[in-house]
Amino acid sequence: MTRDSRKPLGLDDVFIVDCDVHANEPPEALAPYIDMPWRRSLELLGRGPQRYLDIPGYAPILNLDPPFPDRGLGNRTVTTARQMRDELDELSIDVGILFPDNLLKIAVFPHVDYAAALGRAYNAWLADAWVSRETGLYGAVLAVPQDPKDAAEQIRTYGADDRFVAVYLPVAGLRPLWGDRMYDPIYEAAEEMGLPVMLHSVGIIHPHFPFNLEHVESRIVRHPINHEFALMANLFTMIANGVPVRYPDLEIVFTEGGVSWVPFCMWRMDKEYAEIPTGAPFLERPPSEYIKEMYYCTQPIEEPERARDLVTMIDLFDGRDKVIFASDWPHHDFDHPRKVLNMPFDAQLKRNIMGETARRLFKLPVPVSVA
Amino acid sequence: MARIRVGPADEIQPGQPAFVTHGDIEIAVFRLDDGFRAYRNRCPHQQGPVCTGPVSGTLVATADTDWRLAWVLEGRVLICPWHSMEFDLDTGRRIRAQSERLRAFIVEVENGEVFVHVGRQAAPAAARSRA
Repeated sequence: MTRDSRKPLGLDDVFIVDCDVHANEPPEALAPYIDMPWRRSLELLGRGPQRYLDIPGYAPILNLDPPFPDRGLGNRTVTTARQMRDELDELSIDVGILFPDNLLKIAVFPHVDYAAALGRAYNAWLADAWVSRETGLYGAVLAVPQDPKDAAEQIRTYGADDRFVAVYLPVAGLRPLWGDRMYDPIYEAAEEMGLPVMLHSVGIIHPHFPFNLEHVESRIVRHPINHEFALMANLFTMIANGVPVRYPDLEIVFTEGGVSWVPFCMWRMDKEYAEIPTGAPFLERPPSEYIKEMYYCTQPIEEPERARDLVTMIDLFDGRDKVIFASDWPHHDFDHPRKVLNMPFDAQLKRNIMGETARRLFKLPVPVSVA
Repeated sequence: MARIRVGPADEIQPGQPAFVTHGDIEIAVFRLDDGFRAYRNRCPHQQGPVCTGPVSGTLVATADTDWRLAWVLEGRVLICPWHSMEFDLDTGRRIRAQSERLRAFIVEVENGEVFVHVGRQAAPAAARSRA
């Protein structure tokens, strides 16, 4: 690629990996892929009304907000790989890593066998209808937290397929949080298969910490708690229980929380660790050193009044090769890649964030334009 | 500066803007109670197609409403379809963030035909049409 180095990088000048795009999976789409007796359940659910990410028994929301008119245009969905590829082309995005829509909330189901079956069906559906190296659409294997042993089998099955490049760890409504030892089989399998694990949060009201938000009046309060606070809480438990120590080759990615909470976690955990080292007996180094080795997706990118502050923020956690672009397409709070590219990063940092770091992390093929 | 014909004034209905293009600039012309406004179809936030969003009202609670929730500005609030940012169609300014605004153009109505002037940006007050 030849370009005038004095000109700012444009969307077509960089290889863009979008680490978070959402495939919509209505119940009837997964029905052919799920075991009996759950096929009957999905067939029934497919006949009912399907409100956006709110299907009782499939993607239940405790939606307590009074609705107002003309705020519903954020309810976009992408239902086929072709549609996703076309829309990512419109956004100049080369590669997309797929996450679900409705099953973002899979962790809330009390029925373990049903949840595990849904996870298997989703992974099979992705393999059959979505992922392809040619289209640049890659999968993240859904690891159902209710059944870690089954999730580990799924990771080993699909981890051998080069169209799957990560493991998706659901965060919404999760109990216990991802640091719990019960999830060790998932981490063992992900490390063994060389797949990064990606924690992805989503809005939910549920009885479990930190999702027990039924008393909170405003969505503007619940949304960041659901996302950033949930990621922080999970990170704390993973550090305290030594996940990065016990699985040193496991890459850990946080999705849909932006980046500005990372320095707080580092410094706060270091402070706690200095005072109560027995609280994290697995650690061989201060918590911040492990946190700096993890990866953080940009969306929702912070938009400080002084854009330069975002560069400072990334430098606070030595994140120049740890921050990776995500749009969250097609959800209501998506970030256009232009928004991130136009931040006052230097050219190399822009290339790293927009695609190069993710390309290395997910072992993606080198595109012709940068080979 | 170019003068672009938009079309007959009586064909532009409230909440249903008329669109014209000049080069790569897309402009939407809205009808309000006291005339027309023209804005570039690009949101200052993430450059989304703001003028294709719905026209509605918004929820406020101020000292003027005795801190009670009130639905106001019905028919005057343009909502960006990308991230739901709200703009006052009367002024082009973002509601609750007055420093951000849509790019406005001067609108004229002549013999029942609407025209916009493209090439220099109008101050919000100057952008109002002589309806």
